[in-house]
Formats: sequence, structure tokens, C-alpha cells
Amino acid sequence: MEVSHSIRERTIAENSLVILLQGLHGQVTTVDLRDESTARGRVINVDAFMNIRLEKVLYRDRRGRMSSMDDLFVTGRNVRYVHIPDHINIRETIESQLAKIHRVRNFGAGGGRKEYSKKK
Amino acid sequence: MEESERESESERCSAPSQTSEQQTTIETSGQKLERGEDVVETKLDISSDKFDPLLALYSPKVPLPYPNIKCFNNIAEYESYMKGGRGRAKPENVEKRLRKAQKGKADPERIERLKKLMVNNPVEEEEGEGSGVKRPPRRQRKAAKNVLTRMPLHTGSPLGELNRCVQEKIRVKVHIRTFKGLRGVCSGFVVAFDKFWNLAMVDVDETYREPLLGQALYHEKALTVTRLFEKLKVQETVALNAVERKGGDNLLKPDPHSSSSQLRDQTRRTDPKHTQERSELSEKDRSTSKVTQQSESKPKVKYGKVHTRHVNQLFIRGENILLVNVQQD
Repeated sequence: MEVSHSIRERTIAENSLVILLQGLHGQVTTVDLRDESTARGRVINVDAFMNIRLEKVLYRDRRGRMSSMDDLFVTGRNVRYVHIPDHINIRETIESQLAKIHRVRNFGAGGGRKEYSKKK
Repeated sequence: MEESERESESERCSAPSQTSEQQTTIETSGQKLERGEDVVETKLDISSDKFDPLLALYSPKVPLPYPNIKCFNNIAEYESYMKGGRGRAKPENVEKRLRKAQKGKADPERIERLKKLMVNNPVEEEEGEGSGVKRPPRRQRKAAKNVLTRMPLHTGSPLGELNRCVQEKIRVKVHIRTFKGLRGVCSGFVVAFDKFWNLAMVDVDETYREPLLGQALYHEKALTVTRLFEKLKVQETVALNAVERKGGDNLLKPDPHSSSSQLRDQTRRTDPKHTQERSELSEKDRSTSKVTQQSESKPKVKYGKVHTRHVNQLFIRGENILLVNVQQD
């Protein structure tokens, strides 16, 4: 379960519900796309912009034709729904992801790496 | 000026000597000069009563009270000397410089400090977010701002109303959009949301219509929620009728066949995935329900069928939401 290395992505994720999707790393879910097609597979990675990478995907296009793929990348904007598995507790997943980010942030012993230099 | 004073002094001293004879005058002048020098010296001596600071500033040699004292050219120099100046080898600076020189090497003390900061066991954390900062508490930690803490912040705005639905577990109806118009309605409870209106919902019943394609889309009247549910009802009644009249299918088939052959062709073209049942249904529509045809403007349910499904936990991207309707009882 890795947290993004970019401070910018971490803050974006921390302040939005993408963090819930990031807690689904490794789960098998169905993603309904904007164009009415659906992709069912295991979530490899979700980034702060909701771009989703899935593996071992059963893809059903909007005409209903099924096909299977090893790897599928969906742009964040094309996502409409993400079905969350029943056994996942939404609140707890969000809190544990926030804790991970918090831990990574504080590990830098204060005054750690800065993404943008403070020079004026 | 002091020179002139000194000269005038020596002149004064020597003046009375000039009145006497030459030798004596010379002697006395010499004596007088000596006395003058003595006077000057006392005037330059800091500890004496007769210390003349003006004289001291301009005289070439002023006896220093302490032999090896450090001399400065001005007060600023003295001030900076007292402050330590740049590059002064103060004990703290020396240590810092040594530390910097040894930056790459593994320092056991530093390793210890880093170890203390690491949290090995995530279960040990008190709250969901606290990671127990082990640093000496220098200042109050800023209040954590994350998606969960931001939820109650929106009071007074529509998102604040949504937050109320989260807290009070009120069932909401979320209208979902297609690129143009309404797709369907999701009815459920909101568990979490964010500023983009992304929603995490549970116990969701989704009623939606498949998108129309081609000419139908162009000609179609805008879909509203009421029309959506009417369509659903019609579909359901038609389905019921189909089940009831399964026996009489074969009889009815030849009659509408001739009249609605065109429509049947349309069915085949637009929706190749249609099952036998559906084409039967459409024929049934034509042949049986004139009443239903009149009540609705476009009763043909060949394509654009309304579906219902239940999802236990659903995440909706905010971009697709038209509006959220709070269901009050």
C-alpha cells in the first residue's frame, strides 16, 4: 500500500474522496465509465486525478460486447461510478489512508523535502 | 588647534624666558618645554585628572593603559567585535562546522533520533490520523485538514445541506447526467462527500435509461424524472402483459407483422442485442395498447429501455451529478 511520492498529489488526495478509491488498491471492483461501458478488474493504482489502472479486466463496451484485457488504464474524467466491494468499510478505509499520509509526512523529521523552493 | 594651543602654551612658557638672557632663556625654555611635555603627558594620561580627550584623539602617541590592548578604528568595529563577528570561532560554531564536515557518515545519535520518529506499528496510533510526533513539542500542531474534517465546514451552503444528510442519514436522490440531459436517478444514503460533489453512497437503487442512439437522440424530447418513471412503469406493465399473454403470441404475430414490419426492421438495426422477448414486446405494444400509446408521446420501448439495479456501495464522481434531491418524509 503505497502513498504517492508527490506532495502535490498527496494533498489533493487528502482533501478529496479520491482517497477512498486509493484505499481500494488490490480489490476487485467494477468501474462504470462515462460512455456507459464497464470494466471489472483488480485495482492496481488510483492517483489523485482519479486515473485508474486495472488488471485482469473484463471489459464490456457500451454496445454490450465483452472482451478481456490484462491491463486497462482509465482516465479520471471518464469515470462515472466505482462499485465499492461490500466488505469494505468506507469510513475506516478513508481514515486509514489519511493515517498513512500523515505518517509519511511526519517521517521527514520536519524541514524535509520541499517540492517548491521558498526562495522569493 | 591643539598644536597651536601647545605652541601657544610653549610660547607662553617660553615667553617670560625671552625676557631673560639667552642661555638662561634657552635653559629655561628647555625646562619650560620639558614642563610643557610633562603637562602634555598628564593631559594624555587617561587616569590623570588633567586628561584632555581632544588632545588624546589627535596626538600621535597616546600611552595605552594596558599594553596589549586591541585597537579599533571606530565604535562600529568595536560593536561587531563584541558581537562575535563573522567567522568567529565560538564554540557552537566550531561544533556546527565539524558536524557539517561529517555529514555523509553514519551518526549513531542521528539514527537514534530517526528511529524515534518512525512509527513502526500502525495499530498503536491513537486516532485515525495521529501518528504521535515524538519531537519535543515546539509549537501547537496545526489542526488537521483532510476530507473528513472538511465535511462539516460547509454549513450554510448547499454542501452543508448535504452534510446534514450525511449526519442524519437521510435518503437522497441523486440525478445522474449523460452528456446531454438526464441519465437516471440514484436513491441512497450518502456516507461521504467532497467539494467536487464526489459521493460515497450506500444502499443505492439506481433507475436509469440506456442512451438513445442516432436519430432518436436528435428527435427525442428531454428526459425528465417523471417521464423516466413513467417509462419504467410502462415497461413493467408491458412485461407483465408479455408474461400473461405468452400463450397467445403465435396468434398475434402475423397480424402486426405486416403493419409494423418497418418498425421491426428499425428494432433490428438499432439494437442487435435485443432478445426475442423484446421484439415480441414491441409488437405487443403496437397491437394491443392503443391506450398506452396515447398517454405517452413516445411509447416505443425498443431502445432506450429503463433499467433498475441495486448496488450496496457506490462511489459517484461529482462531474456526473446533475442535482441532489433530499427526500424528506
